[in-house]
Amino acid sequence: MLQYILKRFLLSLPALWLLVTLVFLLSRLLTGTPGAEQILQENGGYYSKGSAAGREQAYKSYLERTGQNLPLFYFSVKASPEPDTLHLVYPESHRAFLKKLYWQYGNAQLVNQYYASIRSLEHALSPTQESEARLYFDILYRTTSPESINLAIAQLPQLNFGNTTHTNELRAAAALLLENQQAFAYLVPFWRWHGSNNQYHIWFTNVLQGNLGVSLRDGRPVSTILYGAVANTWWHILISIVLAFAISFKLGMLLVMPQSIKLRKVVLPTLFIIDSIPLFLLALLLLVLLATPSFLQLFPVYGMGYYIAAGGTWLQRLSIYAQYMALPVVCLVLGNIPYLTSLIYRSFSEESKKDYARTAKAKGMSPRQVIRTQLLRNTLLPAITVLSETLPALVAGAVIVETIFAIPGMGRLMVEAVLARDYPVIIAVVMLVAAFRAVSYLLADVCYSLADPRIKHAAS
Amino acid sequence: MIQLRKDLMQLWHQQLTFKIAASYIGILLLLIVALPILPVTYSPNELDLQHTFAKPFTSGSGAPHWLGTDVLGRDVWVNILYGARSAFLISFPVMLFSTGLGLVLGISAGYFGNTGLKVSRAAIGVILLALLCIAYYGLYLPLSLVETGLPLKYTWYSLLVLLVLLLLLYKVALPLLKKWRFAATRFNLPLDYLVLRLTEAFTSVPRLLLILALVSFLQPSVLLLSGIFAATFWTSTARLARAETLKIKQLPYFEAAHSLGARRMRLLTKHALPNMLGPIIVTFTFSIAGLLALESTLSFLGIGVPGTFVSWGRTIAGIRSNTAAWWLVVFPGAALATTVWALQTISYHLLNHFESKR
Amino acid sequence: MRKVSLLLPAFLFLLSFCSQPQQDLNEVKVRLAKEPETLSPVNFADAEAIQILNLLFQSLLVVDLAEDKLKPALALSLPQITRQDSVTLYAFEVREDARWTDGSPVTADDVAFTLKVLKAPLLNNERNKPQVEFIRDIRLDTTNPRKFVLICSGYAPEMELLTGDFFILPSYLLDPEGLLETIQVASLNEGLSELENNQNLKAFADKFNAINFKTDNTYLRGSSGYLLESYAPSQHLVLQRKQDWWGNKQEFSHLSASPERISFHIIPDNTTALLALKNRQLDVLENIPAAEFNQLKTDKEFTSDFALYTPDAYEFTYIGLNSRLPKFADRRTRQAIAYLLDVESMIKVSQQNYATPTASVIPPTLKEFYNTSLDSRAYNLAQAESLLKAAGWVREQNGWYKSINGEKTQLTIDVIYRAGNTNFENAALVFQQSAAKAGIPVTLQAMETSLLSQKSKAHEFDMFFRSLTGNPFVFNFKALFHTSFADLGGLNYTGFGNQQSDKLLDAINAAEAPAEKARLLKELQAMLHQEATFIPLYYQKERIAVHKRFSNTKISGLSPNYDVSSFTLKN
Repeated sequence: MLQYILKRFLLSLPALWLLVTLVFLLSRLLTGTPGAEQILQENGGYYSKGSAAGREQAYKSYLERTGQNLPLFYFSVKASPEPDTLHLVYPESHRAFLKKLYWQYGNAQLVNQYYASIRSLEHALSPTQESEARLYFDILYRTTSPESINLAIAQLPQLNFGNTTHTNELRAAAALLLENQQAFAYLVPFWRWHGSNNQYHIWFTNVLQGNLGVSLRDGRPVSTILYGAVANTWWHILISIVLAFAISFKLGMLLVMPQSIKLRKVVLPTLFIIDSIPLFLLALLLLVLLATPSFLQLFPVYGMGYYIAAGGTWLQRLSIYAQYMALPVVCLVLGNIPYLTSLIYRSFSEESKKDYARTAKAKGMSPRQVIRTQLLRNTLLPAITVLSETLPALVAGAVIVETIFAIPGMGRLMVEAVLARDYPVIIAVVMLVAAFRAVSYLLADVCYSLADPRIKHAAS
Repeated sequence: MIQLRKDLMQLWHQQLTFKIAASYIGILLLLIVALPILPVTYSPNELDLQHTFAKPFTSGSGAPHWLGTDVLGRDVWVNILYGARSAFLISFPVMLFSTGLGLVLGISAGYFGNTGLKVSRAAIGVILLALLCIAYYGLYLPLSLVETGLPLKYTWYSLLVLLVLLLLLYKVALPLLKKWRFAATRFNLPLDYLVLRLTEAFTSVPRLLLILALVSFLQPSVLLLSGIFAATFWTSTARLARAETLKIKQLPYFEAAHSLGARRMRLLTKHALPNMLGPIIVTFTFSIAGLLALESTLSFLGIGVPGTFVSWGRTIAGIRSNTAAWWLVVFPGAALATTVWALQTISYHLLNHFESKR
Repeated sequence: MRKVSLLLPAFLFLLSFCSQPQQDLNEVKVRLAKEPETLSPVNFADAEAIQILNLLFQSLLVVDLAEDKLKPALALSLPQITRQDSVTLYAFEVREDARWTDGSPVTADDVAFTLKVLKAPLLNNERNKPQVEFIRDIRLDTTNPRKFVLICSGYAPEMELLTGDFFILPSYLLDPEGLLETIQVASLNEGLSELENNQNLKAFADKFNAINFKTDNTYLRGSSGYLLESYAPSQHLVLQRKQDWWGNKQEFSHLSASPERISFHIIPDNTTALLALKNRQLDVLENIPAAEFNQLKTDKEFTSDFALYTPDAYEFTYIGLNSRLPKFADRRTRQAIAYLLDVESMIKVSQQNYATPTASVIPPTLKEFYNTSLDSRAYNLAQAESLLKAAGWVREQNGWYKSINGEKTQLTIDVIYRAGNTNFENAALVFQQSAAKAGIPVTLQAMETSLLSQKSKAHEFDMFFRSLTGNPFVFNFKALFHTSFADLGGLNYTGFGNQQSDKLLDAINAAEAPAEKARLLKELQAMLHQEATFIPLYYQKERIAVHKRFSNTKISGLSPNYDVSSFTLKN
């Protein structure tokens, strides 16, 4: 048995690794980088804080310090004209322009030369000239098609920049670029090898040593943050799972009894309707009904007990906990009952049609006894599967309940991390959920073989 | 088909709730189809700025607002009608697609298992190469081209190259490779294992989180949202179909039919599919219900759905800016609940019917 | 089993009625919509962090919310300003009584230390580093350890505010070994590469970057009246008043530490926060949804316990038109669009009339500077159509057309705004409807923040909705309207400006007499109004509720809208 568990565990590791790697790479596809908004802040408004160049410098040093300027993976595949250093070009707004040029003209060197000559012409201008030529440069930084570049270059003499070396340089660079256009170069992929000094390698070696990194938002270790979030929602999840299962089993059993036809007619549609109410509405409804002075003020509105730290006996503390937990737990339970009940009811009713149940009934057992002694064991099997699926989903899926009741759990942590592009936290959350899932599958397998010895080892 | 109609007629006459549910869905569908010619006084996105948060049965600047208006003075009644259309326009194609995908994957995984499908090494190599080509020419290049905003002809070139490469792989590389003994060796493709791992991977990231993550950096659009739905809803159908196929495969009649020389496809469609119809209809309706609720949840969170998209969720989410406007929740909420109830009831009766016949 | 299943809920139900611990009356409970990312005084990112840090640390100058005026905090008085050719000198003196938590005095050395921490490489300071970029050096007085002069490059009117706007750190606590003593502030300005290998700096950086500036309260100790008592991440943080704070002995109303405890509660959802307020779980709530605020006003039970305030905020919503586009090049086209903005309806649907329409970027409440002669451009379809005709557009069956560069172009507008912001979305929807009446097709696109700023910086937009926060003391519009900021990536997204307006902007910054400044500002407002690229719509009013047991709340339009440290219990 132990050997089997170990084998299953080892088998699930590659899948876990693959998933986490994929999430690591895919999460970087999100637009925007962490901290960019705050460091390169835009709300200049009435007074400006620091120059744009200073802000960019600070941002660059931030990227360097957090290792975000390194290549992402061991290798990269890109269209051949696009150099690997595009993401380091500043100002950032020039990147789109450059990328367009690279793809259209297929010759990175000439494009860089052309770009550099525009930049040097721009820098050589005096302030008064600059304000006159502003619109011109604005156009120049956006034109990429050969015709419009020609058109723009043709306007150069009219602008009267005085210094001709730079204008001549630009004209030559443009001519060179247009002459040597390799329009189809983008169709050829180019493979670059970056070696082990890349973000993934560093992150992965750290994870192997048990170090999940630090959050990009507040610099705290990811493991601490994760632990906090799990600790906060652990009891909510556990209690609501147990309650939901208990209630669903009870209901399922009740419904399958032959004498409860009427009950079925009431309960089933009710469950369907509860299922169709979006969770956020349910939560708001509960809040408005049970936590306002204008209606019934039974429970506190939010949080997890602010005064608990004040002390008191364990009973007092438990009672306060219970008050704060009541509404979120009711919400989670109500959200899960319909699906679970209908599943359990269905599997009960299927089992009850089978021969052994009929035999038992024929032996003179009451329906209740039949269910208790014969069916329960068999319906446990599908229930285990469902349990192994619901649990991880609950761990991370309670976003709405967490947002409305202001409980800092895994779901909210994940959403906030995604919105702030806090990659180390995103990946750690996914890793935790995936690991949790792998373990619960494993447990389900073990439970299966315990509950039904025939299945033993056949699963793998 | 005739049998199915007979069954439905029988159900219709025997079960009152089925009758109610089916007529509700029928009327709803009829209304949706007839929307363009219905004498509706407001358009769903028309703002009646003089009558914002109007209570039900109050007059508007044009016709009266029977069910009130929301924060921008949009008529709730009209929004419920058009919201029904959006709900069905999104959920049916999505569910059809994802059910189809789930069925194909699930049935083939169950049928072939880990040993049923033999492929040559050459074919695997060619398929992998083809996938790489598709990833580069079919995904990376077109997406980057869209991002840079270069003329469309660049994309066409890329797709053309992809087509040529795929043809070359299939017509030239595959036959050539097969001449090499090592590559021609056939081995068992662990299809079952692959499909199972795939479903596991898809379900290990909770769906709502996946959607949140994807939607937070892509443009909110209905098409994108449907795509995400379709890509995440197939797993339950696949798992069900796999389990059912495994069950059916062991039944004596299936083996008998196989030994009689019936073709695989025919066997599967004729015998396996009808048997799993029941459970699949149940997941289908549950998923539609879930989808409708999910869509309104996203509207509530204010992500993923563009503001001009008419939906029940949008109207319900209006309660956030004014908790006293009960009509924003009660009417569309009732529409949502009734629709879901009707779908569930229909599926419930269908299921019972199929089961009793089996 | 049945008994158990009945007992359990009954037990829980009973528990829920057990007594709650008595609440402390002299504690203020404040809601935060968002958790501050970090409480690092040199790397904070959000308004929430500033509000809390102001209770832990002090800066040289502070805004007194009672009068909306700049006042000295750690400094004895406002700085003496001396303008030289390319630099400006700001002379400060630290208050003699100012003390750190351990009782040692605050000195000019602490200011120098703070500047080093803010400007040094290798440290977690990138978010606030650019803010002190203009301070080039500090000159300490050899005779008086509390006197110093800040040497700043160039001159701008806001510099007075900014020189006093960073939190002063205790060097005895953060750098007991004196690792930074050998480094000069002036050496941190440019060419930092050699300093990156400085052993002292490296040692300091390792120590400083490892500090947990969030939940760890050993280093979050400044000269202000409060100490961080506890911090439950994402839930609440509690500040406790210092026993014997130096500021309490001063006679200044803007240096206060009145409530015994201040607790901040993180509640992301608006509805939940409102219910918590009604439940008396909170004492202060801002940003109350407008429709709800109207109802609270009529709720007798609520108003007996809470006072409601609507101060005029300095945040305004505006639209920007990309004047670089050929279709918007003619000023009359832009003016026509301005006439199609139904500001009144926008205010009605998104603010329920808690806003003031404005014709200029200056708040209408600042009568001294607001140009009252501007036409407020109420929604006017006929006017818009005649302006469009004047600009050369021809009305055809399905819209307006004009030949631009030989191409027949239709007048269409693509509006972008930040996804998730209902105010912008509602305003955009109102505009869409009124533009449709005029025959202009408008498409709306909500965008994620980073994408939105990318598009605006790259000048790839027709029109956007944004909001901007200002203040009543400094008016430097250079970054918004000067042409030197109009290049790609610059803050002048709309492309407003010419040589004349540039000169005017420089003159506004140079003007010192208020009358002269007002005249120039009014001229700028007229110019902006005429050009109609940057069209302010309305100034918001804040909607705040504060429990009535507190007085001296110092409600203000400036963030954070109240001074929680001055809340005093009524008898």
